[in-house]
Amino acid sequence: MAATEFEVTGVFRGDRRSVGRWVWSHAWRQKWQLFWLFSGALANAAFAAAVPLYVGQAFNAILASPPDYARLGGAALGIVITQVIRSAWQMGRNFGAEVIGQRLERDVRAELYASLLGKSMTFHALRPVGEVMARATNDVREMNLMLNPGINLIVGSGMFVVMPLLIGPTLHPSLVLVPLLFMIGYFLALQRLLRELTPITQQARQSFGVMNAGLAEAIEGIEVVKGAAREPEEAAKFEQNAATYREAYVRQGAAESRSLTLLLLPVALTVGFAHALLLYRAGLLDAGQVVTFNSLLWLYGFPAFVSIFAYSQVSLGMAGARRILELITTETELDHNPSGRSTPIEGAIEFAGVAFSYNAAARAPVLQDISFSVKPGQTVAIVGQTGAGKTTLARLVSRIYDVTAGQVRIDGVDVRAWNLAALRQQISIIEQDLFLFSRTIAENIAFGRPGATTEEIESAAQAAQAHDFILAFKDGYQTVVGERGVTLSGGQRQRLALARAFLTNPRILILDDSTSAIDSATEDQIQKAIFRAAQGRTTLLITHRLSQIRWADQIVVLRQGRIAAVGSHDELLAKSSAYQAIFARQERRKLGVGAVGPD
Amino acid sequence: MAFFGNLDPEAYDRTYTDRELVQRLVRYFGPHQRSLAIVLIGVAVTGALEVIFPVTIARVVNGLAENPSLNFLLGLLGLVLVTGMLSWFVNYLRRRLTARIIGDIVFAMRRDAFRATVAHDLSFYDEYRSGRIVSRITSDTAEFASVTTLVIDTVSQFVVVILLSTVLIAIEWRLALALLAMAPVVMLVATGFRNLARYVTRQGNRAMANVNASIQETVAGIAVAKNFRQEAAVYAEFADVNQQAYTINVRRGFVLSNVFPALNMISGIAVAALVYLGGRAAGIGLITAGSWYLFIQSVDRFFFPFTFLASFWSQMQAGLSATERVFALIDAESVVKQTAQNPAPPLRGEVEFDHLDFRYSDQETVLTDFSLHIRPGETVALVGHTGAGKSSVAKLIARFYEFQGGTLRIDGHDIRTFDLRDYRRHLGIVSQAPFLFAGTVADNIRYAQAEVTDAEIETLARKIGRGDWLATLPDGLATDVGERGGRLSMGQRQLVALMRVLVQRPAIFILDEATASIDPFTEEQIQEALDLILGQSTAIVIAHRLSTVRTADRIIVLRQGRIIEEGTHETLLAQGGHYAELYNTYFRHQSLEAISEYGKLRAGAAAPAD
Repeated sequence: MAATEFEVTGVFRGDRRSVGRWVWSHAWRQKWQLFWLFSGALANAAFAAAVPLYVGQAFNAILASPPDYARLGGAALGIVITQVIRSAWQMGRNFGAEVIGQRLERDVRAELYASLLGKSMTFHALRPVGEVMARATNDVREMNLMLNPGINLIVGSGMFVVMPLLIGPTLHPSLVLVPLLFMIGYFLALQRLLRELTPITQQARQSFGVMNAGLAEAIEGIEVVKGAAREPEEAAKFEQNAATYREAYVRQGAAESRSLTLLLLPVALTVGFAHALLLYRAGLLDAGQVVTFNSLLWLYGFPAFVSIFAYSQVSLGMAGARRILELITTETELDHNPSGRSTPIEGAIEFAGVAFSYNAAARAPVLQDISFSVKPGQTVAIVGQTGAGKTTLARLVSRIYDVTAGQVRIDGVDVRAWNLAALRQQISIIEQDLFLFSRTIAENIAFGRPGATTEEIESAAQAAQAHDFILAFKDGYQTVVGERGVTLSGGQRQRLALARAFLTNPRILILDDSTSAIDSATEDQIQKAIFRAAQGRTTLLITHRLSQIRWADQIVVLRQGRIAAVGSHDELLAKSSAYQAIFARQERRKLGVGAVGPD
Repeated sequence: MAFFGNLDPEAYDRTYTDRELVQRLVRYFGPHQRSLAIVLIGVAVTGALEVIFPVTIARVVNGLAENPSLNFLLGLLGLVLVTGMLSWFVNYLRRRLTARIIGDIVFAMRRDAFRATVAHDLSFYDEYRSGRIVSRITSDTAEFASVTTLVIDTVSQFVVVILLSTVLIAIEWRLALALLAMAPVVMLVATGFRNLARYVTRQGNRAMANVNASIQETVAGIAVAKNFRQEAAVYAEFADVNQQAYTINVRRGFVLSNVFPALNMISGIAVAALVYLGGRAAGIGLITAGSWYLFIQSVDRFFFPFTFLASFWSQMQAGLSATERVFALIDAESVVKQTAQNPAPPLRGEVEFDHLDFRYSDQETVLTDFSLHIRPGETVALVGHTGAGKSSVAKLIARFYEFQGGTLRIDGHDIRTFDLRDYRRHLGIVSQAPFLFAGTVADNIRYAQAEVTDAEIETLARKIGRGDWLATLPDGLATDVGERGGRLSMGQRQLVALMRVLVQRPAIFILDEATASIDPFTEEQIQEALDLILGQSTAIVIAHRLSTVRTADRIIVLRQGRIIEEGTHETLLAQGGHYAELYNTYFRHQSLEAISEYGKLRAGAAAPAD
């Protein structure tokens, strides 16, 4: 059983040992609907097969002399009754299949979601949200469609293949021959077709994807294309992609039209008819039975027709199921150490010889030889180029990742010796991508403390310099934001996130500050909010703001995963040339204004 | 939802008359006349064969009553078998050829649409979202393909129905009429269901759009929830939404799962009616037993195309409007018009706006009587509030837009006389969020100058920050930048875009400075790259950074499309006019004074709450 950070009760867990078992374990929960599906398919085929029997009877009635009109009427009535029953049953069956599909979608999504909640933050930090989302929506939907119409049609048409095989021998034992041969031929032809078609459709889909992506790129980059006068080259590239897709499309069309399943129908009909005729001449069948048998063979039209579509739907669904199960069964390794230390945090942080890499095979570790210490209440600016390891370094503190070597200590105790929940509750992280739920501003601020009062929320917003812009909205704190609400600027979102942090009052604040303000007034407010948030707690600031760097108690300069320099502003000005460069240019360009003011 | 969003019309959409549409399509089918003729012959032949098949079988059924020689009957069946196989074979050829024709035509449409699209002015792209343009070129054309297949299938089915009807009428017209009379009933039921399905689908879609958004949000919110240990709360929300989605879908499914059963029922009743009526007719010798059998077997064949047409009617209509959308994209008119196509000589980079008037649309005027002379090699910074006309000035120089009055001269030549592609080779343009193409860093750098060697790029790259930025890329110049440059940071993307211009050595450099936050080390390197470019080209910069306005030879202060001040940073600041106001709004916080000022804020934050 994998480690989990959070358990949801009452969610069905499928059998995760293999994809087949997993899908089956979910489907088997709808036993009754499955029963409907199979029995409905059987009944549908059986009642459809009743028509030939009645037609045969009708023939015998008319060929008799004198014609027996009462029997004829009986046969016609029989057809009406069986067909009405058939469609009623078919409705039940179709609806049953629909319900299975929808429930499958719902339950699989719930299982996936619950398992996602149980996964570590490491897992979530490493997985792009878009990818997880695609599985929770598209792949789950594919599984639904696999059941209905996919499996529903396969089961339904399968029964149509079986019917003549069951009824034929009741007319005469040797009439098993043609239905049996048809069944074998049908499955062989189908297998051949699928084998041939699978790589081609894959290629078609892939080349369509390539064409689409290439096109999207050219259109989005049109300004560069035009600016560099590269239209003909882009057109040539697109035409090549479009031609590759055309190739695949034509090949798919050729393979589909080669399908032998459609050829089997006339062959079975004529051979079967000839067989029945011979039996008739030998006096082993009456005329009505010949007609019955011939009409039975017409039933093959349905399976021959739906085969291609239904099978590809199933294979798409299984591929989706595989991707979802893969995500669910991804192990997350972090243990939450329930017996660990859970005292209030003072706020001292120490990195001692820390190294980190995502996996052992990685070319170069992300972090190496990181050692520095932070006193409680200090503000530390972490600076460096993108990819230098700033975010990773901050994530080691709250154990989103665990170190590969060395130790990260909080209040002198290795973070791994802390109770994980206690540790994380006292550390607040404001990430680069600030996510807001489509709820009111007040609810978003109170997200970490659902019981907070209006006063508490407002004072948190005030401290975060968010109060004024919130009141500027028509609905104030009740304004709905996020995906389906008002869109906020980066600076506004950041201040809401800060307000969240004020409300939860963490001992350690980690702020990935990558927003930039367009105008000076906003900048002033963001600066004020950050200074205020850093007050009274240990703060790690990943920042591009020169002023935050300038006024931090300590600055850690990272370069390609190592510490290039560490110290206060004045110390770094004295010893780091890279650091000098960023402030020196400012000074070079600054005519008539003196050096940076003293502390 | 995006899928439905795509169906919204755009301003350049137009309605084509049926004649125009047909003429247009005929032009595309033109090169495939022979193949198309073969396909149509194939359709007719399979139609005939598919009628001969049951008719001959019926003839054999007659044998049950008449008892001719066995060999005659078996011979007939042999004929039936040959007919069936032949029909399969012709059908195979027909479908194969159809796929080829459609493949070619769709290819041609895509090619035309793409060529037309890249030839459109940039104003076109400002107005229309790229995602929609893309979907016109790929999805709408694909829709045309599936509609063409559908049409051919429908036609071939109706060919069968017509031929079959003729045979049936010839056999016994009253019975045939009874069968024909049922066709409208099937049509009606199928159409009714279609409308019902459309109604529930539309109802459902509205609800589902919300539900989908909620599901997406709860998935995206997992990380935040974990951060605050609020898993239980988001789960409860998710479970609600998930159940809601289920309820809506099941309701929709209920209607859809009734369609085929209902149609089956009708066809069952029709079969029963023909069994009875045909039986009576056969009983009194009006028709033979075989013909009676033929009537019974014809029911499904007869109804199939009507059901088919009813279920795909809306798809066919959608396909036609998709085709219209493709044509509208191809036909969208170009606004930028050149009076001549002269090749551009090597340029010195002199730009002269002479009493120029410019507006995007009829309502708002952007530049009025605008005159500006930029000397070769000069660096000009454009500043002003949003909407002051900064980017218009830059885009007019790139000839991305058409102006309405006055003239714009480059090195003394009217910009309208240049061959545009040739002229643009002399420009280097870097936009606010530089766009990179999937490929390596080196590929992107040589995008405008394909013949530049790796060694030359390397040398230039080393001039910036001693090549530091290359060291931070995992594979140096060979680093894969990912889709749209996604694997590089914003700062690195800007560096690559500047390198592109540095390699190109254009006469005129146009830069829309980024406002995104970039780490100070990369920013420093960007500045170095910029300095190198400014040294070799005439530069027009839409300035957002303090360091840029300070280095500019001349700052042009724009307000409402007019130049109201110009000069250097120091002189303008001393004047205390509009520039000083702009400085206080946009640039002050970037200055060293501000940085030291913020120290006081920090001290203030330590004080008791205000």
